[in-house]
Amino acid sequence: MFKKIIAASTAKSPWIYHINTGSCNGCDIELVAVLTPRYDAERFGFKLAGTPRHADIVVVSGPITSQSKDRLIRTLEQVPEPKVVVSIGSCPKSGNVFKGSYSVEAPLDKYCKVDVSIAGCTPKPEAIIEGLYKAAQILKEKREAMNK
Amino acid sequence: MINVLATIKIIVKTLIFPGAFFAMAAGLLLAGIDRKVLARMQKRIGPPVMQPTYDFFKLMGKETIVPHAANRRVYMAAPVVGFVSLAVMMLFIPIGGWCAFTGDADLIVILYLLTIPAVALIVGGSASGSPFAGIGISREMVTMMSYELPLIIVFLAVAKKVGGDQLFFGFRAITNWQIANGPMIAQLAMIPAALAMLLIIPAEVGTQPFDVAEAETEICEGPLIEYSGAPLGLFKLNTAVKMLVMTSLFTALFLGGITSGIHTGITLWGIAIVDHILRALIHVAISAVITVVSMTTIHAATARLKIEHLFKFYWTAVTGLALISLILVWIGF
Repeated sequence: MFKKIIAASTAKSPWIYHINTGSCNGCDIELVAVLTPRYDAERFGFKLAGTPRHADIVVVSGPITSQSKDRLIRTLEQVPEPKVVVSIGSCPKSGNVFKGSYSVEAPLDKYCKVDVSIAGCTPKPEAIIEGLYKAAQILKEKREAMNK
Repeated sequence: MINVLATIKIIVKTLIFPGAFFAMAAGLLLAGIDRKVLARMQKRIGPPVMQPTYDFFKLMGKETIVPHAANRRVYMAAPVVGFVSLAVMMLFIPIGGWCAFTGDADLIVILYLLTIPAVALIVGGSASGSPFAGIGISREMVTMMSYELPLIIVFLAVAKKVGGDQLFFGFRAITNWQIANGPMIAQLAMIPAALAMLLIIPAEVGTQPFDVAEAETEICEGPLIEYSGAPLGLFKLNTAVKMLVMTSLFTALFLGGITSGIHTGITLWGIAIVDHILRALIHVAISAVITVVSMTTIHAATARLKIEHLFKFYWTAVTGLALISLILVWIGF
């Protein structure tokens, strides 16, 4: 019974940790906009966590510069299971306009499994909310898989 | 063999009402009301009232990581110690004029027990071995020092008011005095002390303007930085239960005896269960009102203070308010 309660609660209380890997700040601003009174993602239980140890969903923005690559991998390892990785914007997906640069090591799925990828440059807040909501459902599935 | 029933009663009191289970359920409810009302004040829809409960159960199901630098035993034991002391405190605080354990020095016991959750946070944070936690625990210590002094003065003022020539620290004496003379807050001399107490509650719980120790945007939640999973959930639960304990303490000191008139006369196995349930419900409702007045409103209207401003505020304004009450009571108002 407790396992069912825990799995149900997991979908309702996803805490976000945001990593900026050299983003232009556009996606970061839109992600913060999602938490403001106009869009209010807190009604689904989303909360911005201060440290990766508290996080359930890791949101990655930016084209992953060489400088931030090692830090990104280290931070992702610090997040306790079950965790979900969400890429936000076109940069972590493909490198966007920075593709081919000597200092950009773009696709994020080279370093970890990306569960949800929100496209757009920058994605609209509505798209981000939908993506994060899907991530919360995946989080629940991962928690249920841990029970078996 | 004689005391089997008495032992069962003590176990029920400690584990169910008004101990651990009641403290958990009511504390999480108050935390939920706080978040919901805060959201409505900011023109948001806000999370459901059950949100802190979901958070708690989610954290129970997360992986618990213990860092290499941490002292494992202290790191895992700290949140449990904090929760136990909070649950014990609920046994001493009267709910509708009735308390599980009574003595002649309840307020002094509570003063000591009240430091334990903060000390647990400090010990747990320092056991995690993170430099951010180091900054957090030094701030937590300063916060503790700032609110302890006015809190002691408020307790002294109440004890002197009840005792007359002596100091009465027992909750039974305080509640009986208030049943006879009306709630403490209606006394002119005690209004500054009540205001001081309302300002002490947010610092003790650690909500917005006074959450310097757990500032998530500057020092990544301070002492809690390395915690994850079940111990983190317990620390979050401690914060919620602290809300219940502090608001109950306010009710007991300044609004005592309001619900003691409830007598339905229905008993089950010799215990007036219906009376207890009614009183507990009214008690939680009063606690919710105090939570909104003292924590949510201030939270919605202010930004985080610096630690030196917090210290200065408590040792001047709040201590001053409490002292006014103490002096007024001492000269006979």
